[in-house]
This record gives sequence, structure tokens and C-alpha cells, in this order.
Amino acid sequence: MIEIKNLQKFFQIKAKFSNHKTVHAVRNVNLTIPSGGALCLIGESGCGKTTIGRMLCGMENPSSGSIIIDGQDISKLKRGARAKLLQKVQLIHQDPYQALNPTHTIEQMMKATLKKMAKQKKKDADWIRQRMDELLKLVGLDPETILFKYPHMLSGGQRQRVIIARALTVEPEMLIADEVVSMIDVSLRLGILKLLRYLRERHNISILFITHDIASARYLGNDTELYVVYKGMVIERGRTELVIRRPQHPYTQALLSAMPILKGIEKPGKDRFVITSQFRQSEEEPHGCLFADRCPFKQSICDEKRPELIHSDDAYHACFFPKVRQVAAESI
Amino acid sequence: MSDTSTVNTENTFKDQEQKMAISARNINVVYATPTGDIPAVRNVDIDLPKGSITGIIGESGSGKSTLIMAIMNAVTKPGKITSGSVLLNGENDMLKLSSEKQRKIRGKEIGFVFQAAQNSLNPLRRIGQQILDLGRAHEVNDLRKLINYAKKLLIRLGLDADRVLASYQHELSGGMRQRVGIMFSLVLNANIVFLDESTTALDMLSQASVLEIIRELQREKNLTIAFVSHDIGVIADLSERIEIFYAGEIVEEGKTSEVLACPKHPYTKGLIKAIPKISGDIDAAEPLKGSSPDYRTFKQKGCLFYDRCPIRTDSCRDSRPELNITNRDHKVACFRVGANDRD
Amino acid sequence: MTTPDTVKSVHTFTPKPYNGSSFWKAAWRSITRKTSRIIGFAIIVLFTLMAIFGPYLYSSHLPINTNAIYAPISWKYPLGTDFEGTSNLALIITGARYVLLAAALGALFTVIFGTVLGLIAGYFVGWSDSIIMRITDFFLTIPSFPLLVVLSTVWNFGHPLAMGFILGITSWGGMARAVRSQTLSLRERGFVEAARGLGLSPFHILFREILPNVSSYIGMNLLTSITGCIYAEVGLFFLGVVPFHVNNWGVMLNMAVFSAGAMSSPEALPYLLSPLLALLLLTLGIVLFLDAVDEMFNPRLREDV
Repeated sequence: MIEIKNLQKFFQIKAKFSNHKTVHAVRNVNLTIPSGGALCLIGESGCGKTTIGRMLCGMENPSSGSIIIDGQDISKLKRGARAKLLQKVQLIHQDPYQALNPTHTIEQMMKATLKKMAKQKKKDADWIRQRMDELLKLVGLDPETILFKYPHMLSGGQRQRVIIARALTVEPEMLIADEVVSMIDVSLRLGILKLLRYLRERHNISILFITHDIASARYLGNDTELYVVYKGMVIERGRTELVIRRPQHPYTQALLSAMPILKGIEKPGKDRFVITSQFRQSEEEPHGCLFADRCPFKQSICDEKRPELIHSDDAYHACFFPKVRQVAAESI
Repeated sequence: MSDTSTVNTENTFKDQEQKMAISARNINVVYATPTGDIPAVRNVDIDLPKGSITGIIGESGSGKSTLIMAIMNAVTKPGKITSGSVLLNGENDMLKLSSEKQRKIRGKEIGFVFQAAQNSLNPLRRIGQQILDLGRAHEVNDLRKLINYAKKLLIRLGLDADRVLASYQHELSGGMRQRVGIMFSLVLNANIVFLDESTTALDMLSQASVLEIIRELQREKNLTIAFVSHDIGVIADLSERIEIFYAGEIVEEGKTSEVLACPKHPYTKGLIKAIPKISGDIDAAEPLKGSSPDYRTFKQKGCLFYDRCPIRTDSCRDSRPELNITNRDHKVACFRVGANDRD
Repeated sequence: MTTPDTVKSVHTFTPKPYNGSSFWKAAWRSITRKTSRIIGFAIIVLFTLMAIFGPYLYSSHLPINTNAIYAPISWKYPLGTDFEGTSNLALIITGARYVLLAAALGALFTVIFGTVLGLIAGYFVGWSDSIIMRITDFFLTIPSFPLLVVLSTVWNFGHPLAMGFILGITSWGGMARAVRSQTLSLRERGFVEAARGLGLSPFHILFREILPNVSSYIGMNLLTSITGCIYAEVGLFFLGVVPFHVNNWGVMLNMAVFSAGAMSSPEALPYLLSPLLALLLLTLGIVLFLDAVDEMFNPRLREDV
């Protein structure tokens, strides 16, 4: 089980002619992922969702708050123990074209970590070979044809499968899937999502799914919780299906409205609206609602006070004027 | 083909060409490789009706970008256009014009937005300077007017025009660069615009707003747009007509809503099934089998989709289906139209 | 066990053993792809053989022929003779060992120092980076040739190892800087981050993940610094600042210009031109061969299709 409590992250950004600017990238995020469970983080790029994932797997240190893996707070552990614990959380990179070393064959990559595992478990070379075979088959690749290939000979989908297989070599309890399908052809995306779903259902590997595409979040975890993040703050959370059908926060509604409509199969929700203003990291920390500058339903109080995440209607939202709008497309 | 049918097609061709901004016939492009020529685009006929948005769907490696380049006669080596004609507004065959004339047409009449907009901007010059360069290259006399028009367009695209003109490309975000790319394609008053994967690198909200802007500009200026993407969702949302492109050939085309509502080709069916949707049964989604077409696919003798097809028969391996009309202007290239997937 | 995308054909899995020879096979294929590369390779092999076996072909004291001083080019003396009537060809062949060994060692030192320090500085940014880079800057600032001249008055360069070491010491700075900057950009790449996430050791990351990605650069530098080193040492001998312990190309040049007056007397010209010809040929070989190096180390270019 993995728990995040009051996680915060500040980044110092070098500004051109002025003093350093501080960006509040993650604001008081709390979440719990039970073992074998899943959780989806939704938001546009720059909203801090990736930072949350990177902190969870130890690539970034939180500014405050705690990350608790299997009951142990990682910040309180010694270096060696911490590294060992963090191995249970593996990050699947967004860009499959970057995450594989171009000079290594797939076999070399798989072996690098498997050798280490074999040493720990006191197994021999046969075990390494078997395990390699087993894992590649598990992710839907044919070991015979793939082991001797270099990454550039593989398609984006195949690469992503190799990356997942490699992450599985260290026997993780959780995978952080950060935009894993965004760089892959649409026609091949579902295969990867299905694989992740399968790993969760059959192999009890929990998944933190980070994406901007609500439809793939729905596919991966329709029975789990969805967290909508904006400027580092969770602004709505609830069961995935419920958030899609009954979104309360205007930002969630904007994201849902932005989903392309499949003409002929779907019709737009009756309250659909498109926000054309760009996401902007504000120069100064606003007093009010973080979304106020782009919100089409903003009222004067929104600029003055910041709403907190409150429970209502089986879900949580951070908005002064929550209103359910039918924005998601419906099938005809 | 018999003589009479040639005459017939020629006649209909004549009737249509008035309304067509671009009408390409029998385009063939081959790529020369050490192991022999690979036909990257084969016998493609494509029409872009004036003032419409046509979507071209293809996976990476399907040759869709090559097709666009062929239409503009801008295929680069080792690719080579081996046959075909591209009529612009019913006249001027793009493939036969002198290179100087072509260069003028590109930009002035045809605009183009690259997939990676960041790569098509010069990193060492400010956006404003690049507009001036473009103007000089196309012998625009009133450069001030050009800049003003660029500003107007940028504002129209929801950007801070003065800031953008004074920026280098690295100072702009992905969404902004994409918009700047669109501005570049329109600043010389092109009325035909090709957009190659223009929203692929963007996230949902930016994508939605770029699509919205494209739609508005199209309506406003009565542009003819060809939008190329692998994302069937984006194309389904934006386009009126849709061309499904697979391994260098068009396998299905027609009105978007009709093709999506009742797809005939197994590839189209597979594609639609393979996208996770926001509504309906999630377990109905099914990944497309096999991998994207590669150079071996292009060399296949029979149906190009044979090795991924759930409804193939032996005859599909030996001969290639042609694009036939099934219903009004809905065309499909498959021997097994109507066959059930479960067979 | 069913997998989400069942692999179509699950044969019994018999992995081919990964054999180290595949790199050499691929390297051979990239060399033989172009005639120019084969020529370059042949020239390098020729000079290497010369360096190894050359001194065994002749007696330790080359025969002197007082009847054939500054003899013209003939079958007996393909490159003419020197002031004592010794065959210039024999001088070139026997002189190759010192020149090439010193140059190869110099280049090797350059590459090893440069690569290791560059990798460490680039990967462990922070204090180690600062220290290494300050030392690098120091070595980059001192003009290397004058330093060599000064050092040569103190040191005995009779053995090529000493010469090679000095050549390496003075020229690794640029290499270290270049490797460091490449490492800096590589360490941000996804695959290095992934290796870190998988708990692989820094040693593995540096030498197994990052090093292969700069290897083509290193390979090319090794070859170009060989030519650089040859010029430097031949230059030293030519200037006469290094005592002549051995017979080598630089000594030949020096003698030809300063003793034989090859610049003014045409009969001594072959004596001057033959070491120059050897230098030219070797440089040509290296330049032609350089083309193949990138392909040898980059799997993307190594591919057949």
C-alpha cells in the first residue's frame, strides 16, 4: 500500500532579469493506493501530475509531506533501505523513444537488472533466461524475435512493452504510468492499456495512471478513483465513472468537453464548452481559486478566496459554485 | 480498363474539377532502398472539395505524410513521384510546373503546418523576422501590411501578438508553436492548408482549442483543409470527409459520420474499436491486432491489411481489392465487405 | 497463463547465445561497405605491421653504402638514400615503430584520461565536476607544444611510453570537456533515469549506459588524436629539441633539412620527401577509415536495410 500525505513541492525557477521565482508545483496532495489498486491523475501538462509521480518513485524529493510505502516513510529511511523500498515503485516513462538505451539490445537491457536480481536471490543463468522469456511473453512480445533487436527496430508500442517488461524484472508492487500512451499511435494505445489492466487484475500490481486523456483513464480504472489536478492541487476527485457522468468542477468539465467527438457514433453533451485560453503559470500566487483566470463561470468571490476540497454528492470538489453539467459525449 | 470507362471517368473528372481545390489522380511514390523500390504511395486518387475539411487517417509509417508531400510535389530523396497529376483549382498540374512556380504556389496558395512545428521554425531568428523572410521570399511588396496581418492572425489564434513576434521559438510553448505554425501557413493568404499531425503533441485542452480555431478560421475564410493524423478521434471531430489510409493506399473513404457509423473496411472497424471512449461499454474496446505497416507490408502482393485482418480469406492474400463504391460516395477496398468478424 | 495479447506462436524458446564477436562482424561489414574505407583500413594495417615487424626486417645497424650517398630513386633504393647511403625505405620502416607506438600510446592516454574524467565530471555534477573541470581548464590553457619543448629538455624520450605519456597528458583536456558535455545531456535522457530507477549502480550507468553512447565520438577522437600525436612528436624531433636516441621520421626530417640541405640541393630531396610521404599516407589512411567508425558504434547505422 502506498500513501501520500500532505505532499508539497516547490520549484525554484531562474527568471531572466529578476530574482528567482518559486513555483508551487504540488499543493497538499493526499492519496492512498491500496495494493493491487489503481488511481488516475488527470490534468494538462504542467499541472504537477508528473511531479507527483516522480516524487513517488524517488526521482524528486518532496518539499514537505510524506510518502509512505508499506507503512514506512521513505524520507525517514537510510539511503540503502530507501533505494530498496523505492524499487517497489517503478516509473514507466512517457517517451518510449527516450527510455531505452539505443546502443543496447533488448536482451542486454533485460539482463542488466535480472543479473542483479539473480544475485540477490542466488539463482543461476537459467533462471535469468527463464525469467526474461516469461516477462517478455507476459507483456505480449515474442522473445525469440525481439531479444536481439535494438530499440530503433521496434515500434512505439513494442518499445513501451519492453519498458514495462524491464520494470517488471525488479518485481515492483506498483507501476507509475506517466502518459504512457501519449506518444504511441492511437491504434496501438489500447493494447498497452489492456496490458496494464491485466497486470493489475492478474498480478496484483497497483497502478498510478497519469494522463490528460480521460477516456484512457476510464478504460484503465473505471472502478477506481479519479483525481483531477490543476496547478498542483486536487480540484475534484471521485469514482471515475461518477466524475465523468456528473463532473462538478468547471475544470473537469473543460477537460471532458475537450474530448474529440466521434461524429456518427457520439453526440456532444448538451452543456459542452471549449476553453480557448492557454494554461499559464501565473506570475504571482493568486489569492483566489487557481482556475479563476480561465473559468467561464467565475464570480467575484473566486478571485478573493480559494475553495478547498470538500465532500459532496459521493465525490470531492474544490469549487464555490459546483454545478453538474453534461459535457461528456454520449453514444448515439 | 476499357476505353468507354476511361472516357466516363474523364467526363466526371471534368465536371468535378471546378469544385475541387485539389484533385489528385493516380499518385505513385516509390522510395529507393538498397533492397529495391518500396511503393510508399500507390494509385491514390484524392479530391479536396473547396471549402471543406478532409481528414486523412493513417498510422505512423503508412505513407500519409508522403502523400501530402507528393500533392505539393515536395517529395525528397530517396522518395520519387513516379506518376500522377495534381490539379490545383482545376488547372495548373502541380507535378508539371517549373520549380520556381511551384515554390510560389506553396505558401501563397497552399499553406503547410508541419507535425513538429518547433522544427519548422528557425531557432536563431525571431518569429517576426521569419515572417519578413517569408514575405521577401514570396516578393511581397508591403511588408508592413504583412506583419499587421500576421498580428491580426495571432490575436485571432488567441496569442499575445507583439510578444510572439518578438520571441524565439524556444520561448514559446508547444501549443503556441502549433498556433504560430498555423499563422505561417495562412499569412500569405493561402486558401488550401495541409495540417500534418498538428495536434498530436498537444494535450486535450490545447488540442480542443486549436481544433476550434481551425474550424472557425476555415468557416471564416472558406479554407480548404486537409488534416492528416493517426488520431481517429481528432479527425472524426474535425473533418467532413474522411480518407482511411493504410500502407500507401486509401482503403476507405466517405462522409465522416457515415464512415464512423457504419465502417466497412476491417481496418476502419478495428481503429474505431481500438480507441477508449468516454461513453458506452469499456470492455467493448479491443486493441487492433498486429503492428503498424512496415516496408514488408508495402511489398505484399495481396491485400495490404491481410496479416492483421480478422475476416481474411485465402484469396485476400493473392489479389489486391480496389476502391469500390458501396453507398453513394462511400468507397471501400475490401473483398469481404459485410463479412462478420466472428467467422 | 493467458496474456493480454497472446503471442501468436509460442515456440520452445532456445536463445542464441549472445556472442561478443557480433560487434567485430558488424564492424567488418561497415568497413567493407565502401572501397575508401577498405583502402584506409589497409593503409592502417600496413603501417601497424611495419611498426611491429619493421625492425626485424633489417639488422640493428642499417647498411651504409658510401658509393650511393643521396642516390636517386631506383629498384635497389625505392625511396633513394640518405647522407650515408642508407636506404630511405629501410629508415622509414624501422623508424615506424617508435613514431607509431608513441602516437598510439599518446592517443590512448588522451582518450582514457579524457573519457573517464569527462564521464565522471558530467555524471556526478557538483564538487567533483568543479574540481575536474578546473584541472581540465588548467591543462587546456597551457600551450602544449612549448610545454613539450620544455619537458623534453628535462625528460629522456628514448622510450615511446614516456613520449606517449607526455603527449597524452598535454592533450586530454579538450576530450574531457567534450565527453563531459555529452554526458551532461545524456544523463537527462530517459534511459539513464530509468536505469537509476531500476536500482542499477552508478558504475553500470556510467560505463554500460552512457559510455556506449559516446563511443563513436571516442573512437573518432582516438584516430584523430593519433594523427595529432604523430605531428607533435615528429615536430619535436624535427626541431631537434629532443635528443636523437633513435632513428625515426622526425629525425629524418631534421637531418634532411638542417644537415643535408634538402631545401636547396635537389639530390637530397628524396631524403626529405620520404618521411613526409609516410606521414601523408598514414594520415590519409586514418581519414579514410574515420568514416567507418561512426557506423561501427551506432547500431542504427549498422543495420543492413
